[in-house]
Amino acid sequence: MKNRSFPLGFPIAASLIILFIILPILVTLLSVTLEGLLKTITDESVARSIGLTLFAAAIATVFGVLLGIPLSYIMARVNFPGKSLLAGVIDLPLIIPHTAAGIALLLVFGRQGILGKPFSELGLFFTDHLGGIVVGMMFVSLPLLINASREAFQSVSLELEQVARVDGASPWQVFWHITLPLSWRGILSGAITMWARGISEFGAVVILAYSPKTISVLLYERFQGFGLESTTPVAALLLLLVLFVFLILRWIENSLANEG
Amino acid sequence: MKKQFFGLLILELLVLLTACNPKEKIPLVVFAAGSLIQPFTDLEQAFEEKYPDINVQMEFHGSIQVMRHVTELHEDIDIVATADQALIPMLMYEVNMPGTDDPYADWFLSMANNRLAVAYTQRSKYANEITSENWWEILSRQDVKVGLSDPRFDALGYRQLMAFALAQDVYRKDNIFHSFISQQFSKEIHLVDMGDFKIIRIPEILETAKNSHIMMRGSSIALISLLEAGEIDYAFEYESVIKQHGLEMLSLPPTLNLGEEEFSNNYHKVTVQMDFRRFSTVDPVFIGEQITYGLTIPSNAPHPEEAALFIRFLYSEEGQSIMRRNAHPLIYPPTGDQLQNLPDELRDFLSLK
Repeated sequence: MKNRSFPLGFPIAASLIILFIILPILVTLLSVTLEGLLKTITDESVARSIGLTLFAAAIATVFGVLLGIPLSYIMARVNFPGKSLLAGVIDLPLIIPHTAAGIALLLVFGRQGILGKPFSELGLFFTDHLGGIVVGMMFVSLPLLINASREAFQSVSLELEQVARVDGASPWQVFWHITLPLSWRGILSGAITMWARGISEFGAVVILAYSPKTISVLLYERFQGFGLESTTPVAALLLLLVLFVFLILRWIENSLANEG
Repeated sequence: MKKQFFGLLILELLVLLTACNPKEKIPLVVFAAGSLIQPFTDLEQAFEEKYPDINVQMEFHGSIQVMRHVTELHEDIDIVATADQALIPMLMYEVNMPGTDDPYADWFLSMANNRLAVAYTQRSKYANEITSENWWEILSRQDVKVGLSDPRFDALGYRQLMAFALAQDVYRKDNIFHSFISQQFSKEIHLVDMGDFKIIRIPEILETAKNSHIMMRGSSIALISLLEAGEIDYAFEYESVIKQHGLEMLSLPPTLNLGEEEFSNNYHKVTVQMDFRRFSTVDPVFIGEQITYGLTIPSNAPHPEEAALFIRFLYSEEGQSIMRRNAHPLIYPPTGDQLQNLPDELRDFLSLK
């Protein structure tokens, strides 16, 4: 330890802060029995709610990828006036309190909202429908995907693209055959982060769609209505689920780093 | 030098943290029914102006939830105000505080009455058609969005179901309840109607079905913003709340609005029962009666004296006028249950025997 490169107090502070993160998760997981957990997994409304949550977050992510990737590419490759302002706009959902985001979305996608009203005439509803959940999840998690994809595109050599262009490839061909194959892992990792963030969203979703109940809303309602005892196994299950998604993410990121 | 700097920094942070707590104010924790949010917020403001040393901390929930915070979550609460006074004997008299033989409460004041009504806005569907004769038919239409509060959590939740059951007698039709509720929930709410005895049974899992025209929330007060946003066309609310928000109000006949003393016998016909153990020790059964709000100081209140002071303020000329202004007048002179157990000074102040 003679040659330590950090002040003596740092490991103590570091351990404390790690404990701060780990302890609540550990206590929750340890406070449920395997039996309680199994009972929760087989609880029909919990299973349905988890299915709905994963599905809605996946739809949000698919929309995010389809509509967000072009924006990320522009942000990575094109310089234009007001670009840093636009980057700020993209980050806005990260700093807006999520309940406020929910209300803002309600004004747009609600039954009387500027988009919600015309959509409702087409039979497409958002409040208390799957669409509302998707919109809420998408709004708050989109910046994670856009920023990750932008970084992934930036890591692709500009020269490589230019060479292909000189050789007569169209911009679309360059994007499809050169840029995307070299950046898809970064985009995928951004997409999984977006998915995971969508799964955990509560504030914006509860305002737009109290039902059908996503797992966070169900958890909140059960805590309010039925007490801690019936809620803890659901919370533990949710933690396990997100930890699993997180492991996949880490695995992809590691394989990415190894290849890079 | 650097170490000292960090030490100072941490010290400073601690000082800042303690400074965030306003100096030595006595917290008075009030848990109240959601429908009291406006009058009680006004009371809080007026009370704090008069007693600057007390910091009133209000929290509003559905009435059943208010009870749960006391008896199941064991929170330190100084005053409990519920939209159904019957919940106090049912859930607080009957439950002892952990480690003692004393119940959570042994008296309550019957604070105020209210009436059930239907709230809507100018742009609600069929707003120009609805009357106190056809409301149940309009509310059953599939293209009309109706907001309900959850009968598992909120007093208005089971009361609105009672009104629908009683409507079957008033309008002499035996399928009113069924046509409104049927197919709206993934698990049915059942009504057994035997004329003078009607029983409604609520399943444990209560979720609206896909494409249901009912939107359900945890408390009736949560429906107001949905109504204002145009998400729902109609919602069951208390008369006081509708007036406070300046919404359109459809008054319901006195035989089913649960608001008139002289129709109490009629209200008694209907009972709501939960098909599950909602509380660890008590199986709640709700019997139809005139809507009466109840108020008590839990036996384990950390600040009983300040709580008594707040109740005195509520019943003072100023407090009464705040309630009147909010279309929710107090029952005066005060009455209640087991008033011999009331704190002495409060009993004297209210001139109760």
